[in-house]
Amino acid sequence: MRRAPGLLLALCLGLVAGRTGAEILVVDADRLHPGNGPVIANGRVVIRDGRVSAVGPRASTPAPSGPVRQLRAAVATPGLIDVQTSVGLSGLYNVAADQDQDERSDPNQAGLRALDAFHPSDPLVRYQLEHGVTLIQTGPGPANPIAGQAGIFRTHGNLADAMAVRPVSALVFNLGEAPKRTYGKDHKLPVTRMGTAALLRRALLDGREYAAARGRAGGGLFGGDEKPPDRDLAKEALARAAAGDLPAIFVAHRADDILTAIRIAREYNLRFALAGASEGWLVADAIREAGAPVLVGPVMERVSAPETLNASYENAARLEQAGVRIAIRSGFESYVPKTRIVLFEAAVAAANGLGREAALRAITLGAAEVLGVDDRLGSLEPGKLGDLVLFDGDPFEYTSHVSAVVVAGELVHQR
Amino acid sequence: MNTGLRGLGPRLRRSGVRIGLLLALAALAAAPPVRAQVVVLDGADLLPVSGARITGGRVVMHDGKLAAVGPAHAVRIPSGAVVHDHRGHVIVPGLVDTHSHLGLYPRPNVPANADGNETSGPVQSGVRALDAIWPGDPGIRMALAGGVTTANIMPGSGNVVGGQTAYVKLRGRTVEEMRIPGSVGGLKLANGENPKRVYGGRKQAPQTRMKVAALQRDLFVRAQQYREKGGDGDGKRDLDLEPVVEVLEGTRTVHYHTHRADDILTALRLRDEFGFDLVLQHVSEGALVADEIARRGVACSIIVLDSPGGKHEAAQLGIETGGVLERAGVPVAIHSDDPITPSRLFLRSAALAVRGGMSEDAALRAVTLEAARMLRLDERLGSLEPGKDADLVVLSGEPFSVWTKVLETWIEGERVFDRSDPRQQGWATGGFLAVGNP
Repeated sequence: MRRAPGLLLALCLGLVAGRTGAEILVVDADRLHPGNGPVIANGRVVIRDGRVSAVGPRASTPAPSGPVRQLRAAVATPGLIDVQTSVGLSGLYNVAADQDQDERSDPNQAGLRALDAFHPSDPLVRYQLEHGVTLIQTGPGPANPIAGQAGIFRTHGNLADAMAVRPVSALVFNLGEAPKRTYGKDHKLPVTRMGTAALLRRALLDGREYAAARGRAGGGLFGGDEKPPDRDLAKEALARAAAGDLPAIFVAHRADDILTAIRIAREYNLRFALAGASEGWLVADAIREAGAPVLVGPVMERVSAPETLNASYENAARLEQAGVRIAIRSGFESYVPKTRIVLFEAAVAAANGLGREAALRAITLGAAEVLGVDDRLGSLEPGKLGDLVLFDGDPFEYTSHVSAVVVAGELVHQR
Repeated sequence: MNTGLRGLGPRLRRSGVRIGLLLALAALAAAPPVRAQVVVLDGADLLPVSGARITGGRVVMHDGKLAAVGPAHAVRIPSGAVVHDHRGHVIVPGLVDTHSHLGLYPRPNVPANADGNETSGPVQSGVRALDAIWPGDPGIRMALAGGVTTANIMPGSGNVVGGQTAYVKLRGRTVEEMRIPGSVGGLKLANGENPKRVYGGRKQAPQTRMKVAALQRDLFVRAQQYREKGGDGDGKRDLDLEPVVEVLEGTRTVHYHTHRADDILTALRLRDEFGFDLVLQHVSEGALVADEIARRGVACSIIVLDSPGGKHEAAQLGIETGGVLERAGVPVAIHSDDPITPSRLFLRSAALAVRGGMSEDAALRAVTLEAARMLRLDERLGSLEPGKDADLVVLSGEPFSVWTKVLETWIEGERVFDRSDPRQQGWATGGFLAVGNP
């Protein structure tokens, strides 16, 4: 990585406080995108003890006295959020040794947790961080109809447990081509889309009945005649999803797959999001009526699988215009390149109808809302965590650079 | 969109369409089609690549060629010309993609369509891309929407010798119409892990990089002998060796898929030994051996991706390679490797190379004139110069901005993509099947 010392960052105007002391960071930007309101020209963010303490125009936001670290940038935004990826599980090298996203031993893997495979030192985690992505929802890949549990993680850190903001954040379901491809060649369920849907229904029903049986067995002083069923972690996860405690994510591309997801989610009262949704723009009204947010993208994937043939760079814009809540994801890549970057995906969405502000929202506050972490992250507001990204120009321009990344007030990357 | 017949009223323009229809009917009777009309693109800023930017320029196209290129005040509009107003736009030469699989890996990607790798054996010098390119591939229309006008369509990298490549224009209903007359094409070679993966899994050769190089060296030696003997001796032709003889004689270029630094050096070693014209393709670790490449004056056609990885040999791939090679004095082209990166965002690949440290001039040359040179087509392609093919792209703004759109693509004086036509927009943005494009 090339370094341009002193060009973009005027560092250490005061003494740099040690990690143990009270650390204050002041970021000045020609254009500050706070995420929850209009752009602030000549803006300033003050971060104290890892949290945002003040945001505003520089003129009216004094830098605290005492030791401060100061950064300058053309543009600053909140830390970027990738609402669905497999980075950390699906490693850079794409060899069996570093691929832990698809447990192909059985189509129902509801009991698996991303936390148990998240590899903090995979180079792609750092690669995401250097592109400004400070938070990811990562988890299983596309192979299984019931793929397992995703978690929400920091991209900065060494220990999965410490990086986990929410170790279990969603149960991931895959519809369409990928599960068929995984099992169909061996003539095992699912061979067809019908098979995938039937498998999902059966598993959700099993989960619901399991929870009911456990409840009956454990209920009340005089209850418990019934022997409780043995604990089953897969069924527990499905039961949590069926009870609305654990959000479901349905990865579905073709319009009919999207409608199948909505159908199943309604039958089992799931709290759910759609992901991928290449043909979402064709059924945007149905998605709006279902009330499901869409984790859009990636649209720069190789437009080649039949189910993504109608992928559109305008998908995000059209869904948003139809009143659908959107966020942008990097998704899963099986080959070269090994991951997409939501900064790049949002740029294409921005330039294809979504516009700069809405596209930025789809990878900051809008993404935090979809993940349910907007109380702590997603915008630069007093009290929120001090995650932000500095750019040397328009964040979405191909030729701009991420000049620095700050996580909870700590400068973790600079160009 | 502000194209149209400038100075003519709508009524006249409509009657022009009718006259055009009559002319088209008349033309049906008299093949080949005539391109006698003079077309002028007026007012755009021109990035000719062969020279400095021209602000407020004028391009005159006639008979498939560029007749005049210059500042509007210095170029006369020929009488009877159709004039299109492009004030506020930017025109660049038609983009040249030095490494593409359009038509060989068409949309959709199903086994029925996939014709890129003849994996029945690792040495396939006798197979020709020409015999498998599907002109109906929707990817070709998508590439036009990205401004690509010329491509080197290559077999894949599953074989150590993949086959003969074809240099084509992205127009025409048959591959004969697409093929650039007089062009020989290239020979695709590959080393590194792809051939190992294809054959190693079957316990066939090659399983190691040693064998990859040995198979290639053996082919070149056999071709040398074939050439020295003037054939097989018994009067039989060997269709597998003939293209390799063309390589040895310098009429056919070797396009060599290679990523890792040591693999790049293996390719250079073979080139030193057999003296062929070489374009290194991908060159992911080229920065590590830039001096070795520069010392030989070998050209590099690189790929630029959103992230590294996906396979071991691409683990060190980064957007910095173009800039490093440029500064080392290496000729650099940038390719799509379609469908690995989307042709309709071809300019984005060059823009990301700029992000990685390449100069804007070199990045634009890398998808135009330098690319044409690597296909030995720079006499007729790659820049806006009188006498060259009238292949060009009209942009809404600067070529490396995310906010810029490809508005029109022209090949040999004919408009082959027009974003202002709603039926064609899907080729640029997606969903072309759903909106029923032609």
